[in-house]
Amino acid sequence: MAILQTKNLSKVYNPDTVPVHALRDVSITIDKGEFTSIVGPSGSGKTTLLNMLGGLDKPTSGSVWVNGEEITMMKESKLIDFRLHNIGFVFQHYNLIPVFTAHENVSFIMLLQNRSKKEINDRANKLLDEVGLGDRKDARPVQMSGGQQQRVAVARALASEPKFILADEPTANLDTTSAMNLLDIMYKMNQEQNVTFVFSTHDQRVIDRARRVITMVDGAIYKDEYRDVEEKAAS
Amino acid sequence: MKMLLSISWRNIWRRPSRSGVLIGAVIAGLWAGILVSSWTNGLINQRINRVIQEELTHLQIHHPEFLADREPQMTIEPTHEIFSFLNNDERIKSYAARTLADGMIQSPQTASGVQITGVMADLEPATTNFHENLIEGSYLTEQIVYPIIIGVKLAEKLNIGVGNRVVLSFQDLQNDIVYNAFNVAGIFRANLPAYDEARVIVRAEDLYGLMAGTPVFHEIAIMLYDIDESDQVAADINRQFDTIQAETWMELSPELRFMTGASEYYMFYIMVVIMLALAFGILNTMLMAIFERTRELGMLISIGMSRSRVFIMIILESVILTMTGGAAGILISILTVSYLGRNGLDLSSIGGDTMAEWGYDAFVYPFITTGEYISVAVLVMITAILAAIYPAIKALRLNPGDVIRE
Repeated sequence: MAILQTKNLSKVYNPDTVPVHALRDVSITIDKGEFTSIVGPSGSGKTTLLNMLGGLDKPTSGSVWVNGEEITMMKESKLIDFRLHNIGFVFQHYNLIPVFTAHENVSFIMLLQNRSKKEINDRANKLLDEVGLGDRKDARPVQMSGGQQQRVAVARALASEPKFILADEPTANLDTTSAMNLLDIMYKMNQEQNVTFVFSTHDQRVIDRARRVITMVDGAIYKDEYRDVEEKAAS
Repeated sequence: MKMLLSISWRNIWRRPSRSGVLIGAVIAGLWAGILVSSWTNGLINQRINRVIQEELTHLQIHHPEFLADREPQMTIEPTHEIFSFLNNDERIKSYAARTLADGMIQSPQTASGVQITGVMADLEPATTNFHENLIEGSYLTEQIVYPIIIGVKLAEKLNIGVGNRVVLSFQDLQNDIVYNAFNVAGIFRANLPAYDEARVIVRAEDLYGLMAGTPVFHEIAIMLYDIDESDQVAADINRQFDTIQAETWMELSPELRFMTGASEYYMFYIMVVIMLALAFGILNTMLMAIFERTRELGMLISIGMSRSRVFIMIILESVILTMTGGAAGILISILTVSYLGRNGLDLSSIGGDTMAEWGYDAFVYPFITTGEYISVAVLVMITAILAAIYPAIKALRLNPGDVIRE
């Protein structure tokens, strides 16, 4: 079942001065439960595509469909609300709220969803336990390592129970141990809870875990391959 | 809203030193502004009370045209009925009838134009405290025939002192010029140029005796228990008698009317200037906060925080930050003003004499009304909101895609 789809997606920056074609006629379909990496060299359009998939940027032409609903034509306010309930984000720089504890960072998105206090508290505790930070609930970002912060970011992304999670270079700032730890967590969630992940990355460790790798070059899809990674994951 | 308040409160303490400087500036600005305003209030209030208590009183009765023409024939009638009415009105604390004339005073050296006020020596001190300005001699004592009290500057001009004799000339009711010698019984210093240079006080019976031969009065000065009833009492008197006109101190004195009106605006103007300066401080602080948190704000919008909530969050940060300083500033001001209100503020060493020459007290008891404190609080709140609008709009315009990419 297609959870995410783009049709002839193009993006041109500075169309009136020095046009930069960030995306060229990109059409992809991502099904529920996929663990997909979008790879390619710098400037190939990975982050632009991810921003389009997340409704953070508007395409010059083409469309993005999430769960059968076109988001490219949505009004800004509706789109923000749509993101709140349907899309989870994990950023390269973690982007946690520095004045909040880990628990509060995870709870915050559920507060925006107006969930009950008990539900928020229970779910935040559960997610932090799942990412292995049950004992760091009261720590603030500045008191945590990069790997721990990124795990909080994953818990935050999952908190809103999104249709899929977009992760932009999630391991770029992490050491090997932290990166592998994070990947294990995300892979486990994908396997056990059927959470859909879409990464933009050029980290080989992430690529090795991905069952689908979409390679981009100069804003266009160069290669789109499905792989069997069960053994690698297990190892 | 609770969530926004919580995040806003924590956000302002990300940079304690920067927030502390702004809060300090708000405290200092408010304290200075309120202190100056309270001093102005005290100065004006004391001036108004002084003029009222020394001569003007809360309201006065005259012949309807007397104040414009000051003709001797424009006397108050019917005197007995009016006195009876005043005696029976429980709102009236005391009153004093006066006979007035414009004339000349002559000494052996020179002459000068004066306003002659004939007062009832026993009733006038019960109504006004002008007699307390006496610095030499005695107050219209019966031991002296035709006693007169003159201002200190007039005494200097005429080169006379207590015990000297002067001649007063003025018109009687038939418009004939009357002359009579008066003996200087006392000299006063009212610190009001119009009084000290051109006002003399004599006994009413001496003045109306020379002017008419029978008791005639041109003015009745009335003190009330409650100054706020001035308008109502004047209206009641005017309704009762159509031969006279009662006017309140506000109507009688344009100077006091102006001061009363101006005092209401002094504080507003002072605070607006201070708030304007503070607004730039708030604007600067909030803009810096926004620029520092661009990526974070982009993240908030990305994950689903509506732009209206982001806007409110930034406005709340500004309001909380400013109101923290505002509350502290007002509290410190309340303590300072209440202390000075009890103990007074002595400015005699820095221009007190000059102030006294203009009729103002050098020893001032500052005060601020509750309403003025509330106005200041509202003004601080409005400033905080207005100063944060531009930074909040900047935050609203963030494109989360661009910000995250950066």
